[in-house]
Amino acid sequence: MKRILIIDDAATVRLYHRQILEKAGYLVEEAFNGLEALEKALQAPFDLYLVDINTPKLDGFGFLRELRSQPITQTPAIMISTMAEERDRQQAAAAGANDYLVKPVRPEQLLAHVRPLLGEVST
Amino acid sequence: MADISISEQDFEKFREFFYRKSGIQFDDSKRYFVDKRLIERIEATQSGSFRNYFMLLRVQASNAELQTLTNLMTVNETYFFREEYQFDSLVNSILPEIVRLKQDQKPIRIWVIPSSSGEEAYSIAIKLLECWPAINEVDVEIISSDIDTHILGQARQGLYSARSVAQMPTRYLQQYFRRVGQNWQICDALRDAVEFTRVNLSDPSDTRAYRGFDVVFCRNLLIYFDDISRKAAAETFYDALNPGGFICLGHSESMSRMSSLFRVRKFPDAIVYQKPLEAR
Amino acid sequence: MPLIKPGQTPPSDEEKRRWPRDADGLLRALDDSTPSARRCSARDMANAENDAQRALFAAALLARLRSEHEVSVREVMLTTLVRLGDIAALSGLADCLRTDDTTLRNEVIEAMREAPAETAPIILELLGDAEPSLRVFAVNILESFRHPDVEHWLIDLISHEANVNVCASAVDVLCLTGSTASRPALLALRQRFPEEPFLQFAIDLALKRTAD
Repeated sequence: MKRILIIDDAATVRLYHRQILEKAGYLVEEAFNGLEALEKALQAPFDLYLVDINTPKLDGFGFLRELRSQPITQTPAIMISTMAEERDRQQAAAAGANDYLVKPVRPEQLLAHVRPLLGEVST
Repeated sequence: MADISISEQDFEKFREFFYRKSGIQFDDSKRYFVDKRLIERIEATQSGSFRNYFMLLRVQASNAELQTLTNLMTVNETYFFREEYQFDSLVNSILPEIVRLKQDQKPIRIWVIPSSSGEEAYSIAIKLLECWPAINEVDVEIISSDIDTHILGQARQGLYSARSVAQMPTRYLQQYFRRVGQNWQICDALRDAVEFTRVNLSDPSDTRAYRGFDVVFCRNLLIYFDDISRKAAAETFYDALNPGGFICLGHSESMSRMSSLFRVRKFPDAIVYQKPLEAR
Repeated sequence: MPLIKPGQTPPSDEEKRRWPRDADGLLRALDDSTPSARRCSARDMANAENDAQRALFAAALLARLRSEHEVSVREVMLTTLVRLGDIAALSGLADCLRTDDTTLRNEVIEAMREAPAETAPIILELLGDAEPSLRVFAVNILESFRHPDVEHWLIDLISHEANVNVCASAVDVLCLTGSTASRPALLALRQRFPEEPFLQFAIDLALKRTAD
């Protein structure tokens, strides 16, 4: 079973994404911010990271920067943000994000972006 | 007193609140444990209901009730060799790295705060002598501080109950302690090896002289601080540490709720935080 | 035994020798070229002796916050700003929420959260800002804000807010802080955004959490 880490400080967002992903058969864990996510990733790496940009202490950019500097580095990551401008997408890509989603995210949309990054065919 | 109960939604709310604050996440199997302690505090504070009590936790300016509750939710006892995996990490990973990166002949300096009655500082001293052969070539200073002068007196004296030394290998007990009635007296060589000082971690004029440390042990203290004091303490440690120095927190404490100044490092025995080597 | 006690002289303190610890020395040290000296100065300012000094230090810290690129120094500056509790300076902090720098923005959100009495009027203003992202930040501040009116403000907000992400943030906070008083506004909000699955999910959760 593929493991996904959801990083978001909003509990409702974590629960919503968790529920969608669990229904689709993934194992899900949660982190409140980038630092907690790094702790968890170092303990046992994940197959995919769903990264909210605005988290306290260490934000999504900081998380990706640190993650990409660790030996576990190349795991795919999707950045999620309320900001929809092209500039924001570019910034995320430059930070090492493989994909970018604008909030609020629809269930089918989330899965359509998650599956290809896990090497699965999107249905 | 009227029956106070914690509904499932109350539990969910509290669980999220406590997770945000501390990084500790209670799973469903802890429900009874959590409910019991919540009810105990709702009664003690005469809040009457979970709702009133939860409001108190969230808005109280002094943070005192959250501290009391945290204390109940996290078992906090100090004894020799508590959370030994961190001492393993110290001798197996942290100190070897510090020695490798060290560019001068100055001693390695370890700061243990809070000292409490001294168990942790002495445990580190014993661990170094027993499990770190390099101690024969490198000088190490252990400084242990506390705000409470009374407890510092106890630490300097070094007299411990049988319960306090129960987790330690017998061999160490025989080597470093002497029996005094029901208690155990730590040997003079160790008493002389650890420096105990009074420090208020929240007072910049107290902590200003604390610089040049390679490792800080601060276990089970910051979890009781409010958000801003916790952040300030982490910043104080940042300046107390040399670049590349390490900080070890208690097992239920997470730097992820305190400060982003440190870098996460994974070693085989533990996850610890490090001041970046390039820090200025 | 090579465990040794520290020598008689405490570890050297370079900053202390370079700058006197009086107000003028602290202010000058804030512009020192080494980050550790700036951190030390910013930290010591928390021990201001009176209101006049508090205002002086707070203004100096605020003025340098945006141009300070060393994150470790900025963190200490923000911590001290909160501890000083100077109203004028904390109001000034709100301007930093308009920066593009996510790290600084998040630091400011956390700092403002710590001084509810001083920042409450500013937050009310931010909740009505024309820019939705600013309204989201204001709601984020309320997430752990020690103020009795938080629920009331959030109810007001979701009763007219048009931006789905601002509403979602507010509902997230209500999940934790809301009471039965929030329920009519939550129900009305659900009617207004029938096509938003996430918001529907969050509202349903909040309704569950606020049921008596």
